[in-house]
This record gives sequence, C-alpha cells and structure tokens, in this order.
Amino acid sequence: MKKSVFVVLFLLSSSFAFAEGQFDFSGYLKNEIGIRLQDFNGDLQKFKNIAEVAGEYTVKEDVVLFAKVKYWYDLMYDFRSQYDKGQDAMGHIQRTDWLRDCYLDYTNGAWFLRLGKQQVAWGQADGITVLDRVNPVDLSEYWLQDFVDMRIPLWMANVNYAPKLNSNLQILIIPDFEQSTSAPIGSSFTTYAYTRYDNWKESMKRIGGSVDENIYFPAKKFENSTFGLQWSDRIGDLAYTLNFLDGYYYSARNTTIGLGGVRFKVDRAFKRWQMYGSSFNKTFTNPGFMQGITLRGDLALYKHEPTYIGDPVTASAKEIKRWDNVFWLIGADRYVATNWLLSFQFAQYILDEAKAKDNTRPVQQQYPLNPFTYGPADQVENIFSLKVSTDFMNERLKPEVLWSFTDDNQGRISPKVTYEVKDNLWLTCGIHYFYGDLLDSNGQYREQGQFYTQLKYTF
Amino acid sequence: MKKLCLAVLGIVLLTGHAMASNLEYFKVYTPKQGMSADEIMNIEYFVKYTKFAHDASFYGKAYFIDKSGSVRERETTRLRITLGRKSDDIAYKDLVMFTAPAQVKGLATLTWTYMNPKKEQDTWLWVPSLKKIRKISAANADDSFMGSDFTNEDILTRRFEDEAYTLLREENFKGYHCDFTKKTYYQDAPCFVIEAKPKRSPWYYSKRILWVDKATGAGIYEEMYDPNGKLFKIIFKKFQVYNVNGKEYPAQELLEGKDLRTGHRTVITNEDIRFDIGIPEDQLTEQKLMQSRW
Repeated sequence: MKKSVFVVLFLLSSSFAFAEGQFDFSGYLKNEIGIRLQDFNGDLQKFKNIAEVAGEYTVKEDVVLFAKVKYWYDLMYDFRSQYDKGQDAMGHIQRTDWLRDCYLDYTNGAWFLRLGKQQVAWGQADGITVLDRVNPVDLSEYWLQDFVDMRIPLWMANVNYAPKLNSNLQILIIPDFEQSTSAPIGSSFTTYAYTRYDNWKESMKRIGGSVDENIYFPAKKFENSTFGLQWSDRIGDLAYTLNFLDGYYYSARNTTIGLGGVRFKVDRAFKRWQMYGSSFNKTFTNPGFMQGITLRGDLALYKHEPTYIGDPVTASAKEIKRWDNVFWLIGADRYVATNWLLSFQFAQYILDEAKAKDNTRPVQQQYPLNPFTYGPADQVENIFSLKVSTDFMNERLKPEVLWSFTDDNQGRISPKVTYEVKDNLWLTCGIHYFYGDLLDSNGQYREQGQFYTQLKYTF
Repeated sequence: MKKLCLAVLGIVLLTGHAMASNLEYFKVYTPKQGMSADEIMNIEYFVKYTKFAHDASFYGKAYFIDKSGSVRERETTRLRITLGRKSDDIAYKDLVMFTAPAQVKGLATLTWTYMNPKKEQDTWLWVPSLKKIRKISAANADDSFMGSDFTNEDILTRRFEDEAYTLLREENFKGYHCDFTKKTYYQDAPCFVIEAKPKRSPWYYSKRILWVDKATGAGIYEEMYDPNGKLFKIIFKKFQVYNVNGKEYPAQELLEGKDLRTGHRTVITNEDIRFDIGIPEDQLTEQKLMQSRW
C-alpha cells in the first residue's frame, strides 16, 4: 500500500512537473525472437515484444525524480502448446516488475540520497556476480539478458556521503524483499534440478501420494531488512571498495520432509547471510609492457551461504549447510591491433568444504551440489571468460564473441553482431551455444542453444 | 561501445596530454612573427586543448555522413575542468554524457588526462545496460574516434612530442567551404604553414600539413598523407573567440573530417560553450558517475 501511494505521488508530481518544464523522457520498443538451434525449422523459444519508457523530472537543481516502466508479452507461449505450463509465468511481465525504477535523488554538498525503487550494482566483474548481490536476479532466461533487465529492483534508501574527493561511503537500507526467480516448468531455461523435482512431484501424484509445498518469506519487519555498506576510495591510481551486505539470501532453499508413505512436505525458506568483500581497478597508464592494460578484481566472502548437500550422482539434495564460501575474480582488458578489445576474466568459487562434516547421512549423500542442477559442485570451481569485440563501417557494425567456460569442460559461446540501421533502429543477431554435461550449469541447456534476433526502436 | 564513448570525450574538449612546454596554464598565448615551428606548435596544442580555461561546458552534436548521404547523429553534453596540478599530475578531467539517440542515452565517460606526456589516460565508463561503471583501457591512437573520420590521436592523444615540425611558409589561407553549413571560412586568413612528421614509424600517416591561424594560434586546417605520400584525409576546424572576464578564448565550434578513400565524412558542432563557470571537481569523479540515472 505504502509503495502504491509513493508511486501515485511520484506520478502526480511528475505530471505536474511536466507542465513546469525540465522533463526528459525516452524509451524503446523491442522485438526479441529466439529459435532453438537443435530444431531450426521452427521451434520457437521466444517471441517477446517489449516496451519501456523512462522519465526524469528536475524539480530543482538538487532534487530529481526518475521513473522507468516496462511491459512485455511473449507471443511464443500463445503459439506453442508444449510450453503451456510456463505461459502464466513467462507469457507476460509479472506482478510489480513493470516498475523498474521509481526514486527521488537529493544532493546536498557531500551528501547524495536516492530513495525509492532502484538497483545497485557493486563490483568490477563483467557478467559474473561476485559482489553484485544487492538485488535479486531474474534468471528466467538464464544469464542471457542484460544485467539492467536481470536485476530485480528493490525499494531502498541509498545514502551516500563523500568525506573527501574521490571517496564515498554508501549505506543501503533495504526493507523490501523479493526472491530471485528462475525459469518455471514449461520454458526453455528451466533448470535441470527443477525439472527433476517436477517430475518427482508428478510421479508422486500418479501413485496417489502428495507433495505439500510451502514457502516462507522473511516477515515484514525492519530488522529483516537487508543492510549494505560500501566504502570507495583511491590509493594512488588504484581505486578500491570495501563492501558489506547483511540480509536474506534471495534464493530459497528446499527441505523435503517425508510425512509417511508417499506423502511429503517441501519447505522453501530464505536464510540470512552476510557478504564481506572488496574490489579494485587499475589501468596501467605509465610506459612499460603493461601500459594500456586495465586490471580489475572482486573478492567476496559469503558468510553462512546456504549450500545444498546431497547425492550428485542421483542429483538429489538432502540437506542445507550454512557454509563460508569464497568467490574471487580478476579481469584484464586491453585494446590490440587498432580496434580489437580483448577482455579476459578468471574466477574461483571456493566452497568451505569438499564434503560435509558432522553429517550422519551415507557418504554418497554428503557432497556439495550445484544449485541449478543438483549435480556435483567442485570445492574449487575455476571459471574463465574471454570476450573479443571490434567494429566496422565507422562503428555501425559491431561484432562480439563471448566464451565463458569452466575447468569441467562446460560453457557457453555467444557470438553476436549489432548493426545500426538508423539512429533509432538497431538490429542484433546472435547465437548462444551451450555445451557440457547435463549436470553442469551450462551443460543442462545443451539442447537449448539459441539463434536470436533483437530489433530495437528507440525514441 | 566503450571505445565509442572513450573517443567521444574529446570532440570539443579535445583533451590531450600536456606538451613539453613552459607555457603556463590559464593564460592566453598567440603566435608571434619570427617564432620557430616548435614554438608555434606549442601554442597550437595549448589552444587545441583549451589550457587557458579553468573549466568549460559544452553541448555537442556529431554527424556521420556516408558516401550515399546517409546521416547518423550523436548528441552529448560535456563538462571539463583544467587542473594542471603537479601533486597528482592531472592536467584535465572530462565528463561526456550521451543524450541522444535513445539507444546510447545515458552512456557516460569520465577521463582523467595527465600532464606527463607519456602517461595514458584513466577512463571510466557508465554502461546503462549494466547500470554499472567499468574502468576501461584507453583506445589505440590510430583507432577511429567514436566511429568518425578522426582518429583518437587526432582528437585526444596526439602530443607535441609525437612529431617533428618544419615551418614551410606563411600565407593567407585560401578558405574552406564546409559542405555541412554551406559556408566558407577563414578566407584570406594569415596563417603559418607547418609540416608535422610523426616520429613513430611505420605509422598510418607520413606527414601532416597544418595551417595555423596567426590571430589565435589555432590549427584550422590540415592535410594528412599516407605512408605512400598520398593525401587521404582533410580536417577543418572553425574557432570562435569568446571573451571571458576580459580574456579571449578561442573555442572549436565546428569540425569537419573527410576520408578521401571512403568518401565518409564527420561533422562535429559545439554549442552553448561556456568557460570558467566554476565547475567543482567532485562533479568529475567515479562516485559521481555512479549516480547516473539513465
């Protein structure tokens, strides 16, 4: 209710503002078509039409209102009956997701406040969320969307104070909570774990059993808010941040309880965790063999991160452990041969243990699991990404290739080309090719490789 | 995209490295009769990088016109402060924000340029599709500047030390007819004609011939020759003199670059140019860039 009142007040003030001047807006219409590579003759994965409009009103020099709304409808779910189960969740925009931004900015000397629905991005990683954990994420299209569309915005107070030049203290108070979402059953990017769970549930029903599902959201109390802190500063020409986040983990973890016979209860609950982290960036600007290279990195300790334990062979989760896991990344970028940009990243996700201790379960059920597939999770997962991009025709044609992979011989190769037809009309064509074992994060989608087009009209 | 933004930086601001000269920041210099080629070019770089002003703001438009006449546009607003500060070696800070078309709206680049001519710039990019800042590497000197017919070094990074100069002659400029505005500029303007040869070899050009306006020290026209000695590009710059607190600041209002090999040309216009308006330095920080809305 409070949120609705805020939105109405915001829109009223904006419309009033429009009459007064200092109003700026822009937006786009976009069509996205995805076709499965394995069945190129017409197995659509999406036919999504998107409209987005953003507006900004400068009330006075130090007070600015900003809002962005979005709507989309995926016609593919009307065209293809095999995806009927996913239509409700994937056919159109969900719940309050239409409001992407709605906030007020206030600046006063060293103070900057941003109050309202927004997203906050931390860290230096590109495409990998090491420190970028302030907002939950929408993984209904795996990690294929732009991050601005993938992050789920939250209502928060974002308070900033700059005690000196080039430094900033950011305090986040987030009384809002949304869970990270994944693709539902009946869509192209349903996780393997979810598919197996659904199959099990259906099999229980077929033999007369039942699965009672419950989800427990954090109670709406101030003490259940997420709190964040970031200090950013420079040491010479090295910029760094120190980060802290304390809140509820945005992905619920399942616990299955047998009630006797073929009756089961599945409780989905959110656990509180903390993140301690740091990031840096530095460009080597002085002459020498490193000149022109930008180094950047993130380091995070995920304290009490809910981690699935179970049997990776049968892809079955048995328990949740609260482990202290570490995720770090280092990236390097450099232009070579006039206008070719190479961008390389290496990351390690290090689990607290290779195997659960103090576990009374059989040995084969004591291993950490990949949360997407319930397949095996290495204690040290090595992750690599390489991006190569360039341009032709006075930057009108921009090809790019992203290859991300792990040491388990699984990954994704995503080449794409963007062409500027006119100032306000852009066409992108590309491919997402997944490979690997069915129980790996990318391998689970090895039959969901995609050719896609995006046609975007901006105004 | 990153490169495009990086490049945009300089259109008007023409940020660059300080040259090895004793010219003091925040003063106005004009060439004098009898000066050597080096002295004239020292002043030309000083004017090009507007080292006379404490700060500046601009609104700019860029037009990319291909051989068929098809035009693409970009619009930007820019802030710049000149520091010339020895403690951290920073010569300039520039902030360029794209305002149109909507596809690139919000894209913003912050660049710090150092006084040490051998030191590259530090550049940060605000990427709207990530809602995030990315520290990026400087683009290569011979790469196209924002997809234009200028290279990055034409606009951003060429330094006084990069070339050897010879004074060829003094003459009245024949005038330049701009296809974009349909006007002729600098007809019969007294100029020094300088030959500039790059010290780097091999390089994408073998020499430039520059016409430097005697009245302002501004390089108003140049011809670029490829390694075979063939003319391949011409660049024209129209300056307007602004009277600011009794000092006369020459500022670039119009640039036109033509690639004679492809027939593609680029026109950049700068409007609403304001100098010495007291832009605070904290407006040009990574932290400020993070507060972008678009």
